[in-house]
Amino acid sequence: MSAARLASAAAATAHQRQWFAGLREEVADGGDLALVNADAPQEIFRAMGIPYVVNQWWSSIVTAKRRAQDYLGLLRERGYPDDSEQYSSIPLASVFDPDPANAPWGGLPRPSIVLAETTGDASRKIFDLWDSQLGVSFYPLESAAENDVPVRWWELMPRDWERAVGSDRLDLMTGELEGLIRFLEQTTGRVFSETRFAEVMTLVNEQQEWNRRTRDLIARARPCPLPVNDSIPSVMIPQWHRGTTWARDAARAFHDEVAERVSTGTAVCPGERARLMWIGRGLWFDLDFYRRFEESHGAVFVWSMYLAIAADGYLRHGGDPLRALAARFAAFSDQLYTPPWSAEWYVKEARHHGVDGVVHLVSDDARGSYFTTRALQAAGIPVLELHADNVDARSADGDALTRTVGDWLDRHVLAGD
Amino acid sequence: MPAALARLTSHGTDRRAAADEFRARHHGGVIGYVGADVPVEYLTAAGLLPLRLSGSPGDPSTAGDRCLGTGLDPAARSVLTRLLEGGFGTLDGIVVSRDCEASLRLFYALRELRRVDPALALPPVHLVDVLHLPHRTTTRYVRAKLGQLRATVETWAGRPIDDTALADAITAHDRLRALLTEVAALRRSHPARLTGTQALAVVAATTALPVGRATALLEALLAEADQLPEHEGLRVFLTGSPHDTGHVYTALEDRGLLVVGEDHDWGDLLSLRRTAAPTEAALAERYQHNGPAAPRASIRARAAHTRRAARECGAQALVGYARVRDDAPGWDYPAQREATGLPAVQLSRQPYGALGDGAAEALAELTGARVRAEAAR
Ligand code: SF4
Ligand code: SF4
Repeated sequence: MSAARLASAAAATAHQRQWFAGLREEVADGGDLALVNADAPQEIFRAMGIPYVVNQWWSSIVTAKRRAQDYLGLLRERGYPDDSEQYSSIPLASVFDPDPANAPWGGLPRPSIVLAETTGDASRKIFDLWDSQLGVSFYPLESAAENDVPVRWWELMPRDWERAVGSDRLDLMTGELEGLIRFLEQTTGRVFSETRFAEVMTLVNEQQEWNRRTRDLIARARPCPLPVNDSIPSVMIPQWHRGTTWARDAARAFHDEVAERVSTGTAVCPGERARLMWIGRGLWFDLDFYRRFEESHGAVFVWSMYLAIAADGYLRHGGDPLRALAARFAAFSDQLYTPPWSAEWYVKEARHHGVDGVVHLVSDDARGSYFTTRALQAAGIPVLELHADNVDARSADGDALTRTVGDWLDRHVLAGD
Repeated sequence: MPAALARLTSHGTDRRAAADEFRARHHGGVIGYVGADVPVEYLTAAGLLPLRLSGSPGDPSTAGDRCLGTGLDPAARSVLTRLLEGGFGTLDGIVVSRDCEASLRLFYALRELRRVDPALALPPVHLVDVLHLPHRTTTRYVRAKLGQLRATVETWAGRPIDDTALADAITAHDRLRALLTEVAALRRSHPARLTGTQALAVVAATTALPVGRATALLEALLAEADQLPEHEGLRVFLTGSPHDTGHVYTALEDRGLLVVGEDHDWGDLLSLRRTAAPTEAALAERYQHNGPAAPRASIRARAAHTRRAARECGAQALVGYARVRDDAPGWDYPAQREATGLPAVQLSRQPYGALGDGAAEALAELTGARVRAEAAR
């Protein structure tokens, strides 16, 4: 039996539309709006009831609507780079859109607050430009790094996060979050309630526990019960809404749907011969790519980072809730991009899912890729590196990608079959 | 060439010479470091020689490209390649700062290579995570990171750093900074007594020599200032990427420009900020507020600094030079151009250590504009 589209993915997408329309109305009435980076502590905004849009989500919408090039052109016209941190810079270009009414989803309302960590060399500059827009304030957070870290972070993070992240970084970020709360109290007139915040933190942990169960189900299921790109909306849309009961329940509905498929033996690809892992960001401009090798090779993508990082990257139980929130974000991207954490985690996930091969998208700003590939190969797992920038369709040629993956499957993954 | 200048330029280019001598003569340890955010005071105080690591634009960077990927600043890839090839001689340790993303990734690569490939026999590596937001929370963090560095350096040196030795080292490095500022005045005078290429080499020498020796040579240079020849050219202020070698300066000055100032930390920016007191607390603040360097400062802070510095240099034009994969300068440039109000050119995506295609034409336009302006006067 072949798999139909997930109901939870369709429900999440519908919810997102409805939410965004509601948000546009709220902001049109003069409400505050925050634009926040994906790896920034949104839970504070949630607890205070300040609506927010995730920068990278908006970027993915613009890209999916094939407007990324127009938007990058708007930056270029103003003398700004169109080849640096596009994933973060595209939403900035919406400010310069001469025809905002025709922007995707009716356009991004103008935020009053932007929040980001000062990662990389350019991302804080993008937010500096936001800050120079009338009525927009940028609240920057440090992005700190540790000299020495315990390798198996995924075992420590849920409860022993103080040891995993390190106290210096937690002191720093907790101090910055206290400053953020004061800043928001003062600029929005809203109240930060410890009680409400603790509820939000509990809901987030519950949501991620559901994601963890779902990840574990998929890891063990043979054959793979769902297409990997279907799991992306089912995980990510609730992720943008984390800290709400809707999001927690959506994560549970997704889990239940997967469990149901597993119990009925639903298969994405009934002739499953090879289980594949996709490392890197999503190919937003070509989502069908992930399913192109099912008929031809019986090859199914069973893993992407979205569900896996939801399962392992967010859980922070116990301790002071604000410090726990700091622990969620003080080292968030290290989990994905910084060796030894990233490299060892991908190996652990590859083994957990019993994959036969890994397709590794190495984009221009890829971090730690060499060590990830090396660690997987050292673990005996075939790896194909693809070099492309997922957002910028100029740099990728779809047919060539398809041929490359097909050849690799024939020679390295299925050769022994 | 007068003797002190000759020695300094030689150490600026042959960056290993002083380290080799230090090791042979004093049997002293040499610590390689990456980035102007490394508090070298601790190394000096522990009797170690800090050697700032630089790349080598002419040579292939194959190993560095493989480990770091080609999406990163080629200067960092070159430094890693030279480290893996033993190009800096024996090092007893490496300290990496967080002055830019490329340095951070270089640190992660070194740390991971040590873990997974012990056969490479890389020296121990330490990250000193000096951050720069102007907040008290950051100050406290930087102090903790300096304390951590101190402990590591003590282990490497095999002895504790006492507070007096640290205070002396802080005073010595600040004295060096004060002298560098005096030397910078020589290139700003009308006519200039140092070319930009020479000034860059002098600054570079001070990051390869023991601080006492560097101080003595700068004093000698200032004493022989009268014998220095005069230099002519279109006086430009250089912004954008840092230059760890003189190649681009030479290329610019061969085209009739005279680089009278810059806002990167292999040049004027290195000595800009002093330490308010010979204490660890003041040292932490000095490094926190170091800059404003392109990868860490806000667009606003950079534009204000560039405006002030270009004016103090008496610059007639602004040249923005951004190396390929060095992401910050491109975002700064529009505001810098506006703030200085000078005739300006932007050279983007430049190859490491050279001028790219089209750079010559863009620069010729700048010199042409000046000729036209003078004719109109
Ligand atoms: S500084 Fe020392 S090594 Fe360099 S030229 Fe002078 S004496 Fe020789
Ligand atoms: S890991 Fe070793 S062999 Fe591989 S590129 Fe780096 S130095 Fe070369």
